[in-house]
Amino acid sequence: MLISPLVGLIILLLLKEEQKFLIRAVSLVSAGISLALSIYTFVAYDKSLGGLQFVEKYEMVKTFGISYFVGVEGLNAPLLLLTGIVIFTGVLTMWELEVRTKEFFIWILALVTGVFGVFMSYDMFMFFLFYEIAVVPMYILILVWGSTRKEYAAMKLTLYLMAGSGLIIPGILLLYASSGLGTFNMLQLHAVHFSPWVQKVAFVLLFFGFGVLAAVWPLHTWSPVGHVAAPTAVSMLHAGVLMKLGSFAVLRVAMFLCPEGFHYWAQLMALLATTGIVYGVFVGLAQTDLKYVIGYSSVSHMGIVCLGLATGTVDGINGSVFQMFAHGIMTALFFSSVGYIYDRTHTRDIHELGGFSKIMPVASAFFITAALCGAGVPGMASFWAELLVFIATVKVFPVQGLLAIAALVVGALFALRVVQTTFFNEPNPKFVHFEDVSPFLGLPRMMLIATLVFFGIFPQTMVGMIKSAVVPFLQGM
Amino acid sequence: MNVMLFGPELYYLGAALVFFLLSLKRRVEPKADYQIALALAMGGLVVTGLCLCQQGELFFKAYRVDLFSQIFKFALALAFFFVLTISHNLAHIEERYHAEFYLFLTTTTIGMMMLVSSVELLTIYVSLELSSYSLYILVPLRRGDGIDVEAGIKYLLIGAVSSGVMLFGLSYLFGATGSTYLVDILPKLPQLVASPIGLLGLLLALAGFFFKLSVFPFHFWAPDVYQGAANQVTTFIATASKAAAVALLLRLVALGAGYGYGFAQALVILSIISMTLGNLVAIIQRDFKRLLAYSSIAHAGYFLIGILTMKEAGYIAAIYYALAYLVMNFTVFMVISEVAKDGRDLKIQELAGLWRRSPLLSLSLIVGLFALAGVPPSIGFTGKLLLFTSAMSQGYFWLVLIGAVNGTISLYYYLRVIYASYFTDDPSLGPITVSTPIRVLNYALIAIVLGFGVFPDRIVELAKAAVKTVL
Repeated sequence: MLISPLVGLIILLLLKEEQKFLIRAVSLVSAGISLALSIYTFVAYDKSLGGLQFVEKYEMVKTFGISYFVGVEGLNAPLLLLTGIVIFTGVLTMWELEVRTKEFFIWILALVTGVFGVFMSYDMFMFFLFYEIAVVPMYILILVWGSTRKEYAAMKLTLYLMAGSGLIIPGILLLYASSGLGTFNMLQLHAVHFSPWVQKVAFVLLFFGFGVLAAVWPLHTWSPVGHVAAPTAVSMLHAGVLMKLGSFAVLRVAMFLCPEGFHYWAQLMALLATTGIVYGVFVGLAQTDLKYVIGYSSVSHMGIVCLGLATGTVDGINGSVFQMFAHGIMTALFFSSVGYIYDRTHTRDIHELGGFSKIMPVASAFFITAALCGAGVPGMASFWAELLVFIATVKVFPVQGLLAIAALVVGALFALRVVQTTFFNEPNPKFVHFEDVSPFLGLPRMMLIATLVFFGIFPQTMVGMIKSAVVPFLQGM
Repeated sequence: MNVMLFGPELYYLGAALVFFLLSLKRRVEPKADYQIALALAMGGLVVTGLCLCQQGELFFKAYRVDLFSQIFKFALALAFFFVLTISHNLAHIEERYHAEFYLFLTTTTIGMMMLVSSVELLTIYVSLELSSYSLYILVPLRRGDGIDVEAGIKYLLIGAVSSGVMLFGLSYLFGATGSTYLVDILPKLPQLVASPIGLLGLLLALAGFFFKLSVFPFHFWAPDVYQGAANQVTTFIATASKAAAVALLLRLVALGAGYGYGFAQALVILSIISMTLGNLVAIIQRDFKRLLAYSSIAHAGYFLIGILTMKEAGYIAAIYYALAYLVMNFTVFMVISEVAKDGRDLKIQELAGLWRRSPLLSLSLIVGLFALAGVPPSIGFTGKLLLFTSAMSQGYFWLVLIGAVNGTISLYYYLRVIYASYFTDDPSLGPITVSTPIRVLNYALIAIVLGFGVFPDRIVELAKAAVKTVL
């Protein structure tokens, strides 16, 4: 899974810029192989056995206890699947790209290699290494292929994320140094009982460090700007997958290694998460640019993920991981359809687009589906995820839970208003002549919708998978 | 005496002789001279490679050959070779001085090679001066509008002052211990823990190397010299001279291990100031070489992190980072000298459209700069992480935090360069042709920077073995 995008990347390096079709084909094939492998691991993972499967391990630097140690368990299997789906559809979405095609796909594949690596790594060093590989290409991707204040957005995003890394490194090293084991292996470090002081300090460093990427309020400001500026596939990958790296890392590194630190800071986490949810909903409503609307809704949805984690209960974490998956697919669908509309009309203004469903019924349908999913309509994957999170939250943090639910209800109402203005008003005569989505370009969006509905109708396939990992995870804490 | 022990130095002495004879020739044949120089540099690489596993002592034990010194000699030979590969057009140095350029480049290399093997105070001083004086001549060799002379004088003055300070410190050390041999000084130091004379002596003695490494407060020369000297000379100063300084600092600071708190704290302060100052001032630079000069001041701070831990892990990290720095910094300088074919100073804006003019060079530039900024999966990231790890193990939490934050600041100005080369465009600038050898060099450098970043084990093991011979 890790190798496939890497091989694709190397082949791309050898191709010439002029061979556009070949470039796209190679990218698609390597993304397709990744997708196939991620589906395979998801299906072939033995839930009854639980624990780590598909393990690979090599010593890398003995002196410092660094090893290449990857594996799959219930927590990361859904996210690997998510990455596989989003990259495959992302490459398809960018099929029409004409400017500097080769470089674009090289950076995209580099990014995906990093993402897969983060989800699979059980060695803190490699984890961080892949984390950075996933983050850094964003700068160039936004800068060269982006739109709307891209220079500002690219720089802001990179500096925010790097500042996050500046907190993560001391956090990781603090754990490494105070364990006295001289290893970066997370499973071994987990067995160490760190002193409460170390746990508190390390947790807060790691939480805020990774929290930047997860767009935890008040560190989220880079995220809507970045989403808006990024090209479509990058927005999809970024909101769909990259932000999950942040929340996944909070779960995998911070909570896993510093359980006492987590209990100490859980109140703060819940508070920030709730603020993020409420804030994201209300600011999102004031926006008129479709991408900004989605960007702020991402902030609030990531708040839900964070809130689920903060509860520290089986249901909460379960829902949280499920929400990472569902939100990933949903946002990818959002950005994919907005990207299509924008490519044709060169506007994303809600009022200007008015009545768009009469012009492009299929493209609009994609967006509306995503909006329904975002509002948490039953039958969609995110309904179950949000339900689980809220059940857990109301038990643990009743006030925050109720606030968050209220905010979401208000948010749903307003989301419908956005859909109404954008798609069901009088059509703008300027755009009447545009054709609708062709079946080929519609394919990736169809796949995303199919995934959302599948896991909406059969949530147990996903919940069971995650649960097989969450239960032992919490026992370990 | 075993010739192999002194092999690399003798070889380069012979090479210097050849260049001396070439410089006496009446007819100027820069092309032929360059071929000879390149061949000699390659031969030097082979010789130092062969002598890698030598061990022994020479000259009344003032000169020690061990794995530690041989690794750094190999690194120096590599830097020498690298610099010659990009010297195919020394546009800013007059043709009749080309042979002199090679000559002094060789003598400074010899000086540095002797430096990394010296274990006696006077030998250290003499080798240091040998390498410095050659550089004092190389810097103003450039044909310029006075900027070269300014740089040369600044370099000479600050270098001379720090040499003086260093001698003063060495005399303290000698006065306090009655010996100039590091081996003799070592056991006597712990007795002097209480007295300020030892601490002061050691810190002053380090001054000469702080100067080479451009650690605060000996950093003032860096920006002007980097900008004023010819691109190739700057490259040599920025790569080889740093590696040699780190090597000697490691040997000297091993002395301070018994000192503990006060000495380490002094280094912590210097490290923090160097990092922060270098990174902050770099942000406002417009000239690419000046920017790199400030980045080198910041990197001096990073080197100190590894050195001040005074533990095996820290030394390993420092050696690894010194080697890494040599390669990644050279990668960036190679791009500079290839883009600025006529030898001019490169403004950051002049990198505009590099992705179109030469995709390969722009790729090398990105890899090199990201490595300098410490972005994975590069050799610079791994090195920095090893440095931070070793410091954290010794409990320097705040130092690591400040270092990590500094990494973020530095990324900002590196990104500005990448922004210029990747995003802006200037249609008036034509494509850059890159010759085949340079092309191969590009691929090799990228492979090294990325390859050893992900699989650092071999280098770390080598560094570990080298550290064992010093401690």
